[in-house]
Amino acid sequence: MLPASFRHLVSLSSALVCALIASAAEAQAPAPPPSWQQGRSGEQEKSPLHPFAINVTGKAAKELPVDKLKVPAGFKVEVWAEGLPGARSMALGSKGTVFVGTRQLKDVYAIVDRSGKREVKILLKDLDSPNGVVFSRGTLYVAERHRITRYDGIESRLDNPPEAKVVVDGLDPQKQPGHFWKFLALGPDGKLYYNVGAPGNIVMPSYFQASISRVDPKTGIIENYVQGVRNSVGFDWHPQTKQLWFGNHGRDWLGDESPNDTLHVATRKGQHFGYPYCHQGDTLDPEFGKNRSCSEFTPPALKLGAHIAPIGMRFYTGKMFPAEYQNNIFIAMRGSWNRTIKHGYNVTRVSFDADGKPKMEPFLTGFLLDEKADPPMWGRPNDVIVMRDGSLLVSDDQNGLIYRVSYAK
Amino acid sequence: MSRSRSVPGAAAIFAAALCFSPGANAAADAPQKAQVCVACHGAGGNPTDPAMPSLAGQPAQFIATQLYFFREGNRKNPQMSPLASNLSNAEMNELAGYFSKQTPAAATGRTSPENLSEGRRIAERYHCVQCHGPKLLGLQHIPRLAGQQLAYLKTQLIAFKERTRADLDGTMTSAAQPLSEKDIEVLADYLSGLDPRRD
Repeated sequence: MLPASFRHLVSLSSALVCALIASAAEAQAPAPPPSWQQGRSGEQEKSPLHPFAINVTGKAAKELPVDKLKVPAGFKVEVWAEGLPGARSMALGSKGTVFVGTRQLKDVYAIVDRSGKREVKILLKDLDSPNGVVFSRGTLYVAERHRITRYDGIESRLDNPPEAKVVVDGLDPQKQPGHFWKFLALGPDGKLYYNVGAPGNIVMPSYFQASISRVDPKTGIIENYVQGVRNSVGFDWHPQTKQLWFGNHGRDWLGDESPNDTLHVATRKGQHFGYPYCHQGDTLDPEFGKNRSCSEFTPPALKLGAHIAPIGMRFYTGKMFPAEYQNNIFIAMRGSWNRTIKHGYNVTRVSFDADGKPKMEPFLTGFLLDEKADPPMWGRPNDVIVMRDGSLLVSDDQNGLIYRVSYAK
Repeated sequence: MSRSRSVPGAAAIFAAALCFSPGANAAADAPQKAQVCVACHGAGGNPTDPAMPSLAGQPAQFIATQLYFFREGNRKNPQMSPLASNLSNAEMNELAGYFSKQTPAAATGRTSPENLSEGRRIAERYHCVQCHGPKLLGLQHIPRLAGQQLAYLKTQLIAFKERTRADLDGTMTSAAQPLSEKDIEVLADYLSGLDPRRD
């Protein structure tokens, strides 16, 4: 029990608090539903579907069914690092450091090899959703909700990182809920590309939202690159065509099979990919699509499956995997939640036929245990990067683990 | 990641002194790390102090998330902050696992008859049942509200409304904004009287 005097203090202060609240306007605004429910129909009001939260304290590999993970014959998957709660986007340093961003946490991790022992450390703290990480010419770039910063000479200062230098700030002026954590990638033009997602499930975005934008790190000048992208949190450039390929998350609450999340290719600046008017290139939105046509917009290169949530994606350019994997795309699928029968929770391989037409197949599976359970999965792939030896790292933000997929003939 | 943390000696003694009551001795079967918790939260996480939240049978992910919030400073509390500051992630998971497996005692409150239907109406109108479940039993990162302590429910709802109580994604802060003082009174009274057991 609390001492009487302390309890008195508590009740006194809560009485004061109540009095303060009571003195505020009693006018009752209609209760808004949680933002992830925005766009539900009347029949969906009692739907038990809900997003899943990560384990912010992480989970140890030994507590998890990692033996359920499966890769094609000849490949091997193993736990490569653990103790990185919320691990999302990854970037590889020139000296071999793996940098890892987070979204629900405030940290950026560095994984370093110290005399043959892999060590995980918190490199940067107290950031605002530092989801995007890029390494280039000695510099680590970090995309937070509201800004992109640079940390020069980072690999020689891992124990004493420099102060952040701002590349661009003011990217989240309203601090409203929405898809404003950022993926970050360096384009072949030397510019940093990042997403500014839609401010809700299905709402009219402003001119700079639902876009992939870019900033010149030398000048800080920003440009809207493509629009109509509800939220893309993974993109990369084709190693030969140098065109931008990106994943996109379709809207929720149109049913188990609609609309598909999508894979796109941007062939020029200024293209519009449909949101909020047209989904998956051929499905008008029941509300926003009324006076529009899908022919106004650039269709996707590939439909990935409804609500499957493509996150990080990279072209495979390593030398370890069989030759047919060269220039294929690996995509980490972190969903689905907005379906009664779940699918996804895998790393998917996208290959191209002789005509350049993409097709997809699951590559790393076993995270999804029961498609009807709540939760249905024990882990969620979030990003992929190709290591110098050609192996593939896969982050899992549900548990804070990183897996390594390798191949031996 | 190895977070090296020392045993929370002073903080533990402080908290134990603050909370010690004869009932707390009954928790002798709890794991060593949980001893300091049960001093306030009661044997098996079933508190006798009406200001202390019930932990018994709360979802493990919820408990671990809150311990993390206390350690990282998202949530601040003179008793919990120093205790959590010394916990590693693995210790948080272990404590969360222990308390999630305990059986909640009967409801800590008894809803006034006049608040029964009005409390339910508020829980539905303000979408409580959407995340916490139709029986308000919680799941994953979302806490059980059924049978939770009346005073604790009130302080948390007030704090969410005042935007001083951290939550994972802002959902609770938004949800609490339209609640009036009277709504909070009725809702907390309703929730505290619900059966906290799953079956």
